[in-house]
Amino acid sequence: MGQLPLSGVRIADFTWVGAGSYTTKMLADHGADVIKIESSAKVDGIRLSPPFKDGIRGVNRSGYFADRNSSKRSIAINLKTAQGRALAREIVAVSDVVANNFTPGTMASFGLGYDDVREINPRAVYLAMSMSGDSGPERDFLGYGLTIGALVGIHHLSGLPGREPAGTGTNYPDHIPNPCHSAFAVLAALRHARRTGRGQYLDIAQTEPTIAVLGPAFLEATVNGRDPQPLGNGHLRYAPHGLYRCAGEDRWAAISVTDDRQWPALRSVLGLPAGSCPQEWATEAARHRDREALDEVVAAATADRDAHDLCARLQAAGVPAGVVQDAADVVERDPQLRARGHWVRLEHPEMGETLYNAPPFHLTGTPVTLTRPAPLLGQHTREICREVLGLDDDEIARLEAEGVLT
Amino acid sequence: MTEGALAGLRVLDLSGPLGNYCGKLFAELGADVVLVEPLGGSALRHQPPFAGDRPGLERSLAFLYQNTSKRSLRLDLEHPDGRQVLRDLAAGAALLLETDSPGRMAARGVGHAELSSINPALVTTSITPFGQTGPYAHHEASDLVCLAMGGLLYLGGYADGPPVQAGQQQAYAAGNLFGAVASLLAVTAAETTGRGQHVDVSVQESVVMGLENAAQFRDLEGRIRRRTGGRQWRAGAGVFRCADGYVYLLAGGIGGNRFWPNLVDWLAGEDVPRVDELRGEQWGEREFVEAEENRELFAEVFLPFARGRTKAELYRDAQKWRVPLCPVARPSDILRSAQLRHRDYFVSVEGPDGRPAVMPGAPYVLSETPWRLKSRAPHLGEHTDDVLRELGYSTERVVGLRKAGVI
Repeated sequence: MGQLPLSGVRIADFTWVGAGSYTTKMLADHGADVIKIESSAKVDGIRLSPPFKDGIRGVNRSGYFADRNSSKRSIAINLKTAQGRALAREIVAVSDVVANNFTPGTMASFGLGYDDVREINPRAVYLAMSMSGDSGPERDFLGYGLTIGALVGIHHLSGLPGREPAGTGTNYPDHIPNPCHSAFAVLAALRHARRTGRGQYLDIAQTEPTIAVLGPAFLEATVNGRDPQPLGNGHLRYAPHGLYRCAGEDRWAAISVTDDRQWPALRSVLGLPAGSCPQEWATEAARHRDREALDEVVAAATADRDAHDLCARLQAAGVPAGVVQDAADVVERDPQLRARGHWVRLEHPEMGETLYNAPPFHLTGTPVTLTRPAPLLGQHTREICREVLGLDDDEIARLEAEGVLT
Repeated sequence: MTEGALAGLRVLDLSGPLGNYCGKLFAELGADVVLVEPLGGSALRHQPPFAGDRPGLERSLAFLYQNTSKRSLRLDLEHPDGRQVLRDLAAGAALLLETDSPGRMAARGVGHAELSSINPALVTTSITPFGQTGPYAHHEASDLVCLAMGGLLYLGGYADGPPVQAGQQQAYAAGNLFGAVASLLAVTAAETTGRGQHVDVSVQESVVMGLENAAQFRDLEGRIRRRTGGRQWRAGAGVFRCADGYVYLLAGGIGGNRFWPNLVDWLAGEDVPRVDELRGEQWGEREFVEAEENRELFAEVFLPFARGRTKAELYRDAQKWRVPLCPVARPSDILRSAQLRHRDYFVSVEGPDGRPAVMPGAPYVLSETPWRLKSRAPHLGEHTDDVLRELGYSTERVVGLRKAGVI
């Protein structure tokens, strides 16, 4: 493998569960040496979250964990012991980034708060990703992606008008807004550290990045004086714009006409003769005004069609359309994702050959090939003790026997 | 004032909905971001909602949000002189951001290969619905189509209805965000090695990153995850109605059922009837809490209690007992959040019609190199002259370009 953008960067990774681990995955996949510091005394909850290889629960069998932890190494250190905390401090001393997503104060209780770290390593970029940030009346509150999604508005804004909100169905902030904003901030802070030799403290609430990707909704409230409501599958300007049921069980086509020239093309693929729709539907404004009636016409015309065939014909005619793909479509059938090499299968010591996301982008000049699956809990303890901490085998054996390396 | 972490980087943002937020992230950490817009204005200027619901080039709320802290250069890239201006700009830029169909920039003679012959350290980031390569590279898409093809749409919505999209264009958000990370990775490499590169970002794949564990469920357990919105999917997990709206309760946390005892203690402390029925080891077992009769039992105990309290009261009390519960907040609730006010999260700029426009501010707090809002979104072509003068263009040359309709 050639030089990657983060080759030579070391990360002391105390993150766990969702957003934190996904942040450091991005950095690990691009060459950083990410040392995941964890312990069987307090197992990362996501190691015990389904799905499990063959449905059998185990700390080294979760696919949810595995995908978030590719390319990392794991050292088991019990931070409840004084010697364990001392070892963690030694790793921190030789790291470029120190990352955690605990509630504020937890790292300080290990002697690893920002003030402690700055003293032993002033170059370190210290990433803290607590739920509400390290200040304010809700500083100590706790939450997960799902509850945070509710707190920041994405849950309310996703649903059918007039029904209870539906949300994204996932811990959305954990997977896209929080890890991406965090990784971006770390990369920026690393640049500053390269240029000045100075580290800094990154206080990233797990609420604020998701609110940031809903910006226009807040301007609707403050400029136009109204609370935006969920749009179902609609759009403020385009019509038709929605999901249309196709043949088969739970099969849907997503269709958006984003340009008046696409309207006759859509009609032609759907077999709707010119006379079957009002003339004025030639313009976007009229289609949008009549969108409910329009949706019925389109839905009637798609009901017996095969979703894949229909979307292929619409694309050939220049109409934006795509199948609402389920996990099997995305993983096993989508020819685009296959051509892009999005899915990678890595051989894991306990899970065997299993599925991972490659990065959703290609750095064509410094291409990445994922090779390292998620680590077993403590898989690299001895290796890291030798290489990074400079311990000999006797010392390692003693620390294992005393319950420090566990 | 401290320099931003990205000070000294010049970014050319030729994008629209797929890249403008990415450019904003660079701008507000200190990069000098120039929006290079076609004569009719960038695509996002034409997207609703508009201030006062009146369309206009300076009235799109999405544009006004995603382009703060940038300058605007109006430039006709269909004109050879316009392309020369872009080449001159690219000579001093670290990053060029574009979201045209694959091959369009190269066809104009300003693709990455040509620009990097002028500036070998230049990073060009292309964010497109399906990426630069593969059988769908030239497919047409919208945010909805990307969300569908990435598999996230299938997970949203109600068990008894169609899938429902995530609000506020989250497929495009994902493309912008992964595009920003990818761009800064490439800039990192360029600053170390002197060599730029072409970065190829797929919005579809960026959406796939949000599937949580759905792909692994398919791979490891052979199950297809389906949508569960609007219902309690596990005892104590889901949306519950209260006095003034809804709250989201996740008593289990992630893995195990960590907070269940806290929840029961809270309800017992409030003298909630039948709370004793929620006690016992069995409430820590996945099969038990997923069973319909136990979900119903929980709802029978919890809902009458929640109905008498507001979402703010439930949030405050639940957190006191260390129970992960949050309000299902609306934007107007969030604008009033005491927490966000304490952190000075929202910022105000001059909006259309001279009225203040309040919007989200720093998505992160950097202690040494703070996030900084530099200015409201630029008017179309507001900085054309400034940018060209900095490039060393003479007044005559600028006048000539303007006469020729290039700027």
